[in-house]
Amino acid sequence: MLGDNSVRLADDSTVPADRVPASLIPIVRRFSRRLRIGLFLDAFPQWAAGALLAAGCAALVCRLFVPAADPYLFWLLAAPALAILPAAVLSIRRAYRPEEVLALVDALTGGDGAVLTLAERHDQAWSHASQISRAAHAALPRFRPWRRFTIVVPALAFLVIAVLLPQRTPTAGPLPIADDVVSGLSATLKELQSHDLVTPEEEKQLQQEIERVRKAAQERMDASAWEAADAVKEKMAANAAAKRDAASWAQEALARYSAAGGSAGNPDAASAKAELSKALEALARSGALAGAPLDIQKMLAAGKLPGDAASLGKLAAALGQYLGDAQGRLGDVQGFGGRASRFDPSEFAAAGEGDGAGAGNTPGRGGITRGRADAKLTYGQESLPAERFKAQALPPGYVRSPDDWAPVVNMPGAPIVAPEASGRAAARAYAEDAGQAAWRRTLAPRHQSAVKKYFKP
Amino acid sequence: MITDTRPLLDPDAVGTAQTSIARVVDALRRVILGKEDTIDEVVAALLGRGHVLLEGLPGLGKTELVKALSRLLSIDFRRIQFTPDLLPTDITGSHILQDVDGRKEFAFHAGPVFTNLLLADEINRASPKTQAALLEAMQERRVTIFGETRPLPLPFFVLATQNPIELEGTYPLPEAQLDRFMFKVDVAGVDRAVLEEILTTRVHGEPPVLTPVLDAAGLQRLFDAVDAVHMPRAVANYTSRLVAATHPESSDAPPQVRQFVKYGSSPRGAIAIGAAARGLALMRGKPNVGFDEIRRVAPAALSHRLVLDYSARLEGWTGRRLLAALIEAVPAVERGLPQTLEART
Repeated sequence: MLGDNSVRLADDSTVPADRVPASLIPIVRRFSRRLRIGLFLDAFPQWAAGALLAAGCAALVCRLFVPAADPYLFWLLAAPALAILPAAVLSIRRAYRPEEVLALVDALTGGDGAVLTLAERHDQAWSHASQISRAAHAALPRFRPWRRFTIVVPALAFLVIAVLLPQRTPTAGPLPIADDVVSGLSATLKELQSHDLVTPEEEKQLQQEIERVRKAAQERMDASAWEAADAVKEKMAANAAAKRDAASWAQEALARYSAAGGSAGNPDAASAKAELSKALEALARSGALAGAPLDIQKMLAAGKLPGDAASLGKLAAALGQYLGDAQGRLGDVQGFGGRASRFDPSEFAAAGEGDGAGAGNTPGRGGITRGRADAKLTYGQESLPAERFKAQALPPGYVRSPDDWAPVVNMPGAPIVAPEASGRAAARAYAEDAGQAAWRRTLAPRHQSAVKKYFKP
Repeated sequence: MITDTRPLLDPDAVGTAQTSIARVVDALRRVILGKEDTIDEVVAALLGRGHVLLEGLPGLGKTELVKALSRLLSIDFRRIQFTPDLLPTDITGSHILQDVDGRKEFAFHAGPVFTNLLLADEINRASPKTQAALLEAMQERRVTIFGETRPLPLPFFVLATQNPIELEGTYPLPEAQLDRFMFKVDVAGVDRAVLEEILTTRVHGEPPVLTPVLDAAGLQRLFDAVDAVHMPRAVANYTSRLVAATHPESSDAPPQVRQFVKYGSSPRGAIAIGAAARGLALMRGKPNVGFDEIRRVAPAALSHRLVLDYSARLEGWTGRRLLAALIEAVPAVERGLPQTLEART
């Protein structure tokens, strides 16, 4: 506990006030405070730079991989605030001891050892010495924070650059294109479900086929994926067409059966009834009766048409209404574009080509033979983005049989050795090159005897 | 930790001591012109009860300074002119066979070392054997002759002189001898103004007549006052770091010391600094030693204690120059200001 006779130098250290002259207490306090600030400013820039670098790395990662974090990235500029706490803790742990503060006060204020002496020895006789008064009025050390803060600048620049970087948008890979391929199929299937034009078994089968097409497209995105989707859509269109045909046939048969009156003796009525029975069976097979009223389904399940006129009329009315609705629903299905034709890949916009609607009017689309005159020239057959750099397996190589080898050309290089040719003949043959003088030299008479003696055995 | 609890010198005692010292210093300054720093160092060493080695070219007033000091102090003074044929017994004294009442017996005849102030002139002209006669006297302040140890009168000072340029017929002082000198004072030349002053005020260069200003008792009082001068712990810490940094293997040693010093100072060097700094502080009228006193006396106390490498001589590094670099490198306070604070000059 601090009493009135203590000078607080740091948080947990004191120097007895009676050991320090009263005139020195203010400067010792101010010096101590300034030292604490200086320690904090020493520690803070390192931590701030560290925090800024970490924040910069985080910003970079977010810019590259986490687009959702874009609105919050500017908060990272407040990262240096996080460095305040560790810097403060560090500066407190490194705080100067009272003896160190007094030594610095003495050394830097011209105390000449007097401040230290009076702090160590209780002697007020020297408390008014010139050194003490000089120290009491000495200037405190000045702050020079920029010496340490220079390390913060590059870290701050790194963070600012990272924050200001444009957000990276993910490029379209095989997955989005695969989704595009099957999105039309899924929409058509949903439309069929909403109109009760597909049985649960058909729906399950179609779902499986759509999923198969999607997986195939994810693994390998090429024309086969589009053709598979085309086939599924054709299948759905064929099913819908079969239902429509069955409904039309049933309506016509019902109309003829009603016109025939349904009497038992009428041969037309019998044939109309038989045709109606067949038409209703075909309708049931096509699955178009899945959403029919229960009484119609029961009657058709029994396989027997009513014989009395009233019941027949009632059935004809109910069946006619249902078939009319079914026809209307089939006509309302938009997913086939009003036709059950081949699948048109242009309905699906490739990545980067914008909206696929109205592609026929877009300049430059459709290849060199179909573009408008003012359109930008394209050549068609361009690779899809996903295929552009796809590896292509080359045909396997083969080793040529040695039997197939044939000399291409005969190079004159090998020397022709003719041991029978004499040296003289060879010399004559090369006389032009070797020089005539060397060979035709004649021996002087005074040398001839010496040469003969040499060559004689 | 042992705490010094003695009271500080009171201002009156310090003032009295300062006045006494100032009388000696002023008188010396009247005799030796233009050598204020040298005189201060000699007096500081004297107050620290240390021996001084004065080194300088001939004719610069080394001997005259010691002679003047002897005249100012009412203490016994002897001079030994060191020569190559000087023997140890010429210094310490010896037993001589004498006829006493018809009987022959040895009587001890004290040598010139039995004095208060001994001027060892041209000390490096004597052989090492003779120089060694001073070893025990300088350190222990006693002499052992024929197994008999005799104390020297107190105070006992040796003020030696030597010429640094004459190598022929000289014997450099061994390290053990050098270490016993508190200070090695380099006596430099004088400038034109001082020469002019000497020519106009001195006839044949004769110094003014001096009268004693301090007797043995007064000197003893001064010594007591010097002993009472306080050395703060931070200043002692600075001194110890300074001395430790003279060793090339020390972590605080500056690069010059690492490169040019083979052996650093002994602890005797730190003791010498402390004693001389106390004397200097009293000379300045202070009851305590400050960082400045340490910086002031350290070169004289340490320069001759450094054993330099041969490369130092080639590069022109002397002990004094190395000490200047050392003082520049070692901070007064072990833990300095934070880097974000700058002391005002």
